[in-house]
Amino acid sequence: MWDTVILNPMVNSLLWIYDVLGHNFGLAIIVFTALIRLVTLPLTLQQQRSTQKMQELQGTKAWQDMQKKFKGDKQKLQEEQLKLYKEVGFNPLSGCLPTVIQLPIIFGLYGAVIRALATSPAQLLELSKHLYAFIPSSIFPLNSQFLYMNLGQPERLYLPFLPNIGIPVLTVLVVISTYFQNKLMTPPSADAQGAQMTKVMALYMPLLLGYFAYTLASGLALYFVVSNLLAIVQYAGMGKGKIDFKKLLSFGGTAPQKPKR
Amino acid sequence: MALRPLRPSWVAIGLLAMVTLLLAGCSGAAMTPSSWPGVSADSTTAYIANNQAVYAVDLATGAERWRFPAQPDRAIALFATPTLTDDGLVILGGFNRVVYALKASDGSVAWQFAKAKDRYIGGAAVAGELVLVPCADHTLYALQRASGALVWSFKTKAPLWAAPLVEGETVYLPAQDHNLYALEARTGKLIWSQDLGGALSDTPVLTGGSLLAGTFGQGLAAVDARAGKPVWTVPTDGWVWGNPATDAVAAYFGDLAGTARAVSLKDGSTLWTFQPGAPVVASPALGDGVVYFVSSGGLIQARATSDGASKWEVTLAGPTDTDPLLTGDVLLVAVSSSPDVLLAALDPATGATRWTFAPAK
Repeated sequence: MWDTVILNPMVNSLLWIYDVLGHNFGLAIIVFTALIRLVTLPLTLQQQRSTQKMQELQGTKAWQDMQKKFKGDKQKLQEEQLKLYKEVGFNPLSGCLPTVIQLPIIFGLYGAVIRALATSPAQLLELSKHLYAFIPSSIFPLNSQFLYMNLGQPERLYLPFLPNIGIPVLTVLVVISTYFQNKLMTPPSADAQGAQMTKVMALYMPLLLGYFAYTLASGLALYFVVSNLLAIVQYAGMGKGKIDFKKLLSFGGTAPQKPKR
Repeated sequence: MALRPLRPSWVAIGLLAMVTLLLAGCSGAAMTPSSWPGVSADSTTAYIANNQAVYAVDLATGAERWRFPAQPDRAIALFATPTLTDDGLVILGGFNRVVYALKASDGSVAWQFAKAKDRYIGGAAVAGELVLVPCADHTLYALQRASGALVWSFKTKAPLWAAPLVEGETVYLPAQDHNLYALEARTGKLIWSQDLGGALSDTPVLTGGSLLAGTFGQGLAAVDARAGKPVWTVPTDGWVWGNPATDAVAAYFGDLAGTARAVSLKDGSTLWTFQPGAPVVASPALGDGVVYFVSSGGLIQARATSDGASKWEVTLAGPTDTDPLLTGDVLLVAVSSSPDVLLAALDPATGATRWTFAPAK
């Protein structure tokens, strides 16, 4: 089911793009990631609007008063929060639903890059079972060279004056772009506990993806970087027109906003 | 009962946890080196390379004689067909970019070569005092058989996944860049190359002055060995991964679409076909009037070379993508992904199991 509905169409689309773009797998990953971002744009927009609405709600005096008033009674606080959501017509699920719907696409994209690279016999044999008729056999093996990278290998840049030290450029880019992307996309927490958890996750995800980028095929690292950059560009395009660099560069979780009257 | 609102931070954490788990799962699959076992044998011993070790197995009993390395090493990953030399070496490369020459007597390391930039997938070939090792870094390395010192190398445009064929002073090298190369064995100098239109992933077969090579997408190609010019091709529905087995009149091979066939050596015309019910990756083994096909479904089928009539068939407990090997009086078949059987020795006449081998943990 997963293969038929998500993975196979994605793998074959990626390979078709690779063929059309003159057998450049790096370019194919970039274009494919951009196309997927375009297809999921309506969902991202909905998520973005929901996040902004939540941020606005958390900035109201009514919200802040409620936090103070029911500080010691979590049950009551949650009930009141729910009432407030109803009053203003906000569905708390509307923010996460688009993300949930996008998750299979994100995993599919990730899986498609892995499957298409097929750097071992068993992987290539598996790939061969899922090819559509319009994918020409002549494109195999894929040309995994992109710029100075072999997309089937972990990326390291060797400079002429440092021939023995491989610099993991893509890994650094993955860590930085994931950190910024998380920082921008994660909604502010309503309380100190939530802010603490957000802070932990804001560090955890960049390091986790950085580890993957360092150890796995650089085709994946390229996908991570492109995906993060496009998400940031989308955010800039859909948000209030500018990125809050002060917030972006501040370390740690996002504190609750100051109340608006 | 009041519905408890979801906190955005918890939602985010839940989603990120899911992402972590799934990415970790995917990355695990990506990191695992995957191929099928490589098998070879001399008169007394079978050698089988499978992931973390290569095992020497007594051909008469199926008992393990030695293994290399003695303790499992996840970093090594050996799948190439072990190559046996006259002076008692077992040579094979690993996914860890190292070629090992082991002493066939006890599995100790005679020498190793670690200058490649990518993994070794295909087996090696012996050319006099040289050992020729194909590497996924696009390079064929010619090493001194006695010491492992590099003598020459030949670069292609794509990974090399199959052992070259050595015939006299000429080396025929199948490459994934779609080319079949002919090289001088002593120097590595190019004699000719021929683009066959699809990747080549197994050693070509020389018969009657023609080289037969399976391709991804262009079927089976026959190429004149002297000039490198195509003689005939047999189009197939699926990729031809393994090379054919040949006798005086026919070539026998299968494809990934699941068709096994015999074609005339004269012009490539089809003599007979049958459907094994699963992709055929491996090259068949040829006995006296019998051809043995194995397929990814674990089915072993003995067919008469004359008309393809079934002699017997048995099913093993896992995919059988490794080339079967007829040696002495047994048919050796390697099984992938089975905890119970790694190597099975079958009676070539009946398919009855003589013994099975699975490494003790």
